Amino acid sequence: MIGALCEDSWFPVCLSVQVATAALLIFAPLGVLLAWLQATRRYRGRALVDALIMLPMVLPPSVVGFFLVVVLGRRGALGQLLEENFGLRIIFSPAGAVLAASIVALPLLVKTAQPSLEAVPRELLDVGRSLGLGPVSLLFRVTLRWAWRGVLMGLVLAYVRAMGEFGATLMFAGNIPGQTNTMPLEIFAAYQAGEDDRALLYVVVLTLISTATVLVAAYFAPRPERR
Amino acid sequence: MMNRRRFSLAAAVLLAGCKSSSGGEVEVTVMAAASLRRVAPKLAEAFASRHPRVKVSMAYGASGDLRKRVQDGAPADAVLMANDRPVQQLIESGHVDAASRVVVASNKLILIGPSGAPPLTFETVDRLPAGDKLAIGDPGAVPAGEYARDALRNLGKWKAMKGRMVYAGDVSAVLAYARRGEVAAAVVYDTEIQGIDDVVMLDVAKGDWAPTPQVVVGLVKDSPQREQASRLLQFLAGPEGQAIFRAHGFGHR
Repeated sequence: MIGALCEDSWFPVCLSVQVATAALLIFAPLGVLLAWLQATRRYRGRALVDALIMLPMVLPPSVVGFFLVVVLGRRGALGQLLEENFGLRIIFSPAGAVLAASIVALPLLVKTAQPSLEAVPRELLDVGRSLGLGPVSLLFRVTLRWAWRGVLMGLVLAYVRAMGEFGATLMFAGNIPGQTNTMPLEIFAAYQAGEDDRALLYVVVLTLISTATVLVAAYFAPRPERR
Repeated sequence: MMNRRRFSLAAAVLLAGCKSSSGGEVEVTVMAAASLRRVAPKLAEAFASRHPRVKVSMAYGASGDLRKRVQDGAPADAVLMANDRPVQQLIESGHVDAASRVVVASNKLILIGPSGAPPLTFETVDRLPAGDKLAIGDPGAVPAGEYARDALRNLGKWKAMKGRMVYAGDVSAVLAYARRGEVAAAVVYDTEIQGIDDVVMLDVAKGDWAPTPQVVVGLVKDSPQREQASRLLQFLAGPEGQAIFRAHGFGHR
C-alpha cells in the first residue's frame, strides 16, 4: 500500500522523507552531543570546533559537495579505502544523499540547541551531581529536561533543512532517478526541462511540509518567561 | 534635484566602466549548446577576422536550458542547439524565426568509459558491473541525454537501466563524470573526446536504433543585431564555417 503510494511522481516525496529521517538518525545524536559539549565545556580548541561546526552553514553547498567528492568519491582517499576494504560506495547512492543532508543540517541543530543548553542553571546541575548522578544521567535527567524546547526546535529545523538539501546532494549523490532524485533535485530537473507543472508539485509539497514543521517548531520554541 | 542628478551621473560613470565593448563595435550574443564549447570559439574567431567590427559573445548551457532562458527573455541574437527540438519549441513559442532555422552539422553518439573501464557496448550496456553507474545527460534538458534515451529505448535497454543512470546537467558534465572515474560508462558525442586521453571509446552508435545528433541554429526574432547574427549563421553554413566544424570532428549537415 505504502509502496504503491511511493511510485512514479510520488517517489521523490517519499525518498525525501526517507533521506531526511535517515539523516536525523545521524545528526541528532551527534548534534546534541556537540551542542552539549560546546555549551558546557571550556577546552583548548573550542573556538576551532565551533568554527568547523558552523562551516557547512556559511559555505555554499557546492563547496560541501566538492569536499565530499574529493574525500569520499571513487578516487578520494576515504572513498577508495571504504570500497576496497568494505565494498562500500557512498557516492551516487541514497546513502550519499543522507550524508550530504546530515552535514548541512548539523550546524542548524547545534546552533539552535546550544543556547538552551547554556541556559541550564549551574545550581541545578550541582544538585544533580550531589545526588550522585553521572554525566550521562545528568544530561538526560537534568540538562535535557530543562532545555528540551531548544533541542526540539533545533531537531525540527535541521530536519527540514535536511529535506531541502540540494547543492551538495546533486554533486555527491547525483541525480539518479529511482535512487537519489529527492524533491529539491526533481524541482531543478523539471524546471530545466521546462516541465513547470511537475516542478510545482514538489514546490507545493516541500513548502507545505516545511511550513507545517516550522509552525510546530515555533509552538515548542523556548519561552523567555520560563527562564 | 542636484544631488539626484549627481548620483545618476556617478552611477552612469560606474556602469560605463563595466561595459567591455568599445565605441563602434557591434556585439552579437549567441546561446550555444554545451557540446559546441570547443568549436564555437574557433567559429567566432574566424567570423570576427572577416568582420572586425563584430564581437561574438557565447553563452553555453544545455540546449533545453538555453531554450528556457530565451523564452524567459534573456538577451540573445541567435541560438546554436544540439538538437532540433528546442529550436522547434522556440519557433512554436514565437521566439525564433522559422525561416532562419538551418542544420549546420551532425554528430555521432558514443559510449565512453574511464581508462580501464569494462568493455561494454550500447547493446550490452545493462551488463554494467553491479553498483556501477552509466552517466547520461538529463533527457529533459540535455540533447545528448535525449539521444541516449532514444538509443537505449530503441535497443529495449531503457527500463533495465532504471536506477543505474546518473543524470548530468549538460554534456560536459557527463564527460566529467567519466573522466573523474565516478561512473563506469557514459554517453556523449564523438566530438567530446577529441584530445582527451583519460577516457576510452567503448562503442559508436550505429544502426537503425542509433539517433543522428544534429546541430541546429536559428535567429531570435526581436534580436537587435539581426543583420550581423544572420551573417554569422550564413558563415556557419558556408564553406569556411563547415571546414571548422569538420576540423573539430563534426559531420556533414
